[in-house]
Amino acid sequence: MTILFAMTTGILFGIGVFQLLRRDLVKSAMGFYILFTAVNLFFFAAGVFDGERPAYVSETDRGQISDPLVQALVLTAIVISFGTYAVLLALLNVSSQRFKSIDLDEINQLQK
Amino acid sequence: MEFAILAVPFLFALFVALPTTPKFLKREYLTWLSTAILSGLFVWLLTYYPTIRDQGYVVAAWEWVPALNLTFSIYLDGLALIFALIVTGIGAMVILYAGYYFETDEQTQRFFALFFAFTGSMLGVVLSGNLLLLFIFWEGTSLLSFALIGFKGKLESARFGASQALIITGGGGLALLAGLMLLGVAAGSFEWVDIFATLKNDQTLISDHAWYTAIMILIALGAFTKSAQYPFHFWLPGAMAAPSPASAFLHSATMVKAGVFILLRLYPALGNTDLWETTLLSVGLLTLFVGAALAIKQVDLKGILAYTTISMLGALVALTGLDNYAGMKAALIGVVGHALYKSTFFLLAGVIDHATGTRDIRQLYGLYRKMPLAAYTSIGVGLSMAGVIPFLGFVAKETLIEAALSAPQSLLITAIVVLSSIFTVVAVLLLVWDVYFRRSLPASIPHQDTAHDEPHHFHAPSLGLLVGPMVLAAASLILGIGLEWLIKPLIEITVPKSFKLLLFPGINTAFILSTLVLIGGTALFLARSTWLRLPDVPLRGTDVYLWVIRQVDRIADLLLTSQNGKLRHYLIVILAAIILFMVAANVEYISGDIDWTIEITGSEDLLKIGLLLLSIASASASVFFKRHLPAALALGVMGYAVAGLFLLQPAPDVALVQFLVETLGTVLIVIMLYRLNRQHRQQVIENLWNTSRLGILRDIFIASAIGLGVGLFAISAVGNRGDREAPVAQWYAENTASEAGVDDIVSAVVADFRATDTLIEIMVFSMAALGVFTLLSLKSLAEKSPEKPTEALPIIATPLTRLIVVVDVLPFALLIALAHVLYAGDLPGDGFTAGVIGGLGVTVWYVVFGYAHTQARLQWLNPPRLITVGLLIAFVNALLPLLFDRPFFALTKWQAFPDIANLAPSSTMIFEFSIFITVLGAISLIMATIIQPSSTEEASA
Repeated sequence: MTILFAMTTGILFGIGVFQLLRRDLVKSAMGFYILFTAVNLFFFAAGVFDGERPAYVSETDRGQISDPLVQALVLTAIVISFGTYAVLLALLNVSSQRFKSIDLDEINQLQK
Repeated sequence: MEFAILAVPFLFALFVALPTTPKFLKREYLTWLSTAILSGLFVWLLTYYPTIRDQGYVVAAWEWVPALNLTFSIYLDGLALIFALIVTGIGAMVILYAGYYFETDEQTQRFFALFFAFTGSMLGVVLSGNLLLLFIFWEGTSLLSFALIGFKGKLESARFGASQALIITGGGGLALLAGLMLLGVAAGSFEWVDIFATLKNDQTLISDHAWYTAIMILIALGAFTKSAQYPFHFWLPGAMAAPSPASAFLHSATMVKAGVFILLRLYPALGNTDLWETTLLSVGLLTLFVGAALAIKQVDLKGILAYTTISMLGALVALTGLDNYAGMKAALIGVVGHALYKSTFFLLAGVIDHATGTRDIRQLYGLYRKMPLAAYTSIGVGLSMAGVIPFLGFVAKETLIEAALSAPQSLLITAIVVLSSIFTVVAVLLLVWDVYFRRSLPASIPHQDTAHDEPHHFHAPSLGLLVGPMVLAAASLILGIGLEWLIKPLIEITVPKSFKLLLFPGINTAFILSTLVLIGGTALFLARSTWLRLPDVPLRGTDVYLWVIRQVDRIADLLLTSQNGKLRHYLIVILAAIILFMVAANVEYISGDIDWTIEITGSEDLLKIGLLLLSIASASASVFFKRHLPAALALGVMGYAVAGLFLLQPAPDVALVQFLVETLGTVLIVIMLYRLNRQHRQQVIENLWNTSRLGILRDIFIASAIGLGVGLFAISAVGNRGDREAPVAQWYAENTASEAGVDDIVSAVVADFRATDTLIEIMVFSMAALGVFTLLSLKSLAEKSPEKPTEALPIIATPLTRLIVVVDVLPFALLIALAHVLYAGDLPGDGFTAGVIGGLGVTVWYVVFGYAHTQARLQWLNPPRLITVGLLIAFVNALLPLLFDRPFFALTKWQAFPDIANLAPSSTMIFEFSIFITVLGAISLIMATIIQPSSTEEASA
């Protein structure tokens, strides 16, 4: 099953990079978001236990628990990626206000 | 106690640099205090003399970074004492002079601070007992020299000289570091004490070591660059842009002697070999000759002084090269003698510059009448520099010639020494006779226009400027006459073999040669009109340096041509490079035995596959949806699908956060899209869908390659784990109950085992929120008015929705959040979940009531204050245990606490609470900022 997770990570990463390369900055920001998700998914795939039970001490008797380490990593990563996303969107807004455009190619033109 | 010798200059430098110091400490008092401090240090150092004489050395050590062999230690022996006395003694006079030298208080303050920091570093170089510590101080002197040469940073020459000196001495410093590290490893210790103790038993320990050549060359490179040896000499004339007191102190008396110091210091370890003797003798003699020969062609007073300094440094290096300590006595006397007379000359050059406005010797004459005191002083030090009995310079020259006579190939060496000494005498006459005593400018030398077109109004130097030079000149005389009582004892405790040292040992070969030098020099000086016309040497070191710098620039330009300014191209290059590395690193693992079988054991696995496909499909949909809003919603679907995967894992805590953040993220981008200018969005959508097919194909190719690379990396990472041992995860599972006292292992990892990590993470998140805030609305929020909002409520704010929001949503959200905090230890959810839930509640307010109304009604919810309070609680919670001798974050376990309503209060609860507050504040801040209508848009609308 983890192999499927890993493959999905690759596919999502590809889609994310494609979005990232768009000249539309909104789509670029979305690309980032897809990359965040892909990475989180990879962390899960990298978890060592294919758990049957949630990671609680009281559950350890009832079967294999899922890997708590990757969960802790992903948990904080989700919140941080939200913060990053918010900053990206704010930058987008600044670009719209200052350059009167959210097209990367047009903004590049402005510099010259 | 010995540490104080180093600490005092640095602390005083800090004190001087304080902005308030000049307000209560007048310049005169500062000057006298500085002189007193350095004189005090001088006397203090002298008190160590008896101990050093009896025991050989004084050591003090304090372990600094033991893992790096870095000990803060002091090693004070005879050699260190001589140099430290020069630093403090001459420093005292130079700083006295500097107090009267600068025109403004600002310059005085800056100079004094830099000067004392330099003094501390220089004392550090000579006193440090650890090789690496020595290097740190060594670099300190280079950096402060940079600051002092560039003191008048508005002048191009000052900036150029400063950077040139820094690049040359800094480059040499790197070589020195490598050499010292090899030496430390080879000797088995980084402490001078240990190294010298080992060397006593095994004198050839280093010189027979396999690394000897490397150590010797590297350290010599460091010493040669610092001591301005040929061909690195050219930075020193360039350094003459420094103020005169800096030149006097750094570039004649102390810093440039650091190279000589390290060679003398390492003589027991590295000396007495053919390589040592050949290298030091050839480089030193070459420098001695070239420096002296170039000196007499200079027209700048300080230029002459710089080149004669180079020459003398060459002599010192050559003396250090001689076998069996033969040159050490002469080198030490030379160091002291030269420091005294040359620093005086530099100070006097500053006086002349002050008084006449020029340092060009073609413009100067007859200053004797205008400033007789300066003239007498310069006669004194001039006699010392020329080597006339009974000045200390005479002894220095005598011992130098004596050493040359007994050296191998004595004829050649003696010839070089004598010739260079003749040039030095010429330089002295130029400095003294021409400047002070000649009656008029000679007609044979064409009068050249300088920057000073108008004649400078002469103003006599104040007495304060002359005290320092006069004391130093007197010292040259006193130390010469009192040689046997004042200098000899110091050299006796330094040179490890017996020697004779008399002021006048009788008429011998050295004395005869010395007299010939004086006669020859005077003759050559009188004939100066003939050789002054000779052309200058065409190739200068600075030209070579400039050429190298230009080539570096050209390479940089070449690299710049690859930069076309398109961010996407950079991104492609960066990503492609990463992928190449990833594939290259993983290719062998992928070909290995990866378990490709996919077991589907039940409906749960089918559901997982379905969700994986859904996430891929919705991610692709975000690409294909033309308009932004559906694309954003598609992303939301992707997030929910992933959250579902987390839930099935099963990872309830993560799934909960993912669901909540996904909701919040979707709201965020929808609001953001609403906020963005509609025209801009329309424009970019059209542009995007009219992009050339070729560009899209290229992007598809890159994206596929990267996706493939990451996929292969992920597969090889996941598929090659062997027997799936998980010591870390297992450890967490086993120790959560006992260490953290909670049931939820994930919560325990987040809030207890890796609490420091989490602490930093909530700081990062708060910073992201503040970043959004500063980007979008710092100005408008500062003008925030708490008055009643004038705008109408949004359409969505019907009485019913308003009631629901006010009564239900936020209170319940906060209640649920609180429950999450309280039960974080045993049930899904934690501080992050709680924060996001609370944040969602606030967001609903903003959506329903709009910005202005929410701001007015929810004044009690102040996001920046929430962030502050949250972080404050987190830090207090983390730091408090330190007061009770417990580790960071190690609060007592609250297991003794009565268990009310299954709360199971745990050690992590306070931290979870602070996470909640911080995240709530940050999310509220982000939402408030984004929803707030921007002022510029209103203006343009």
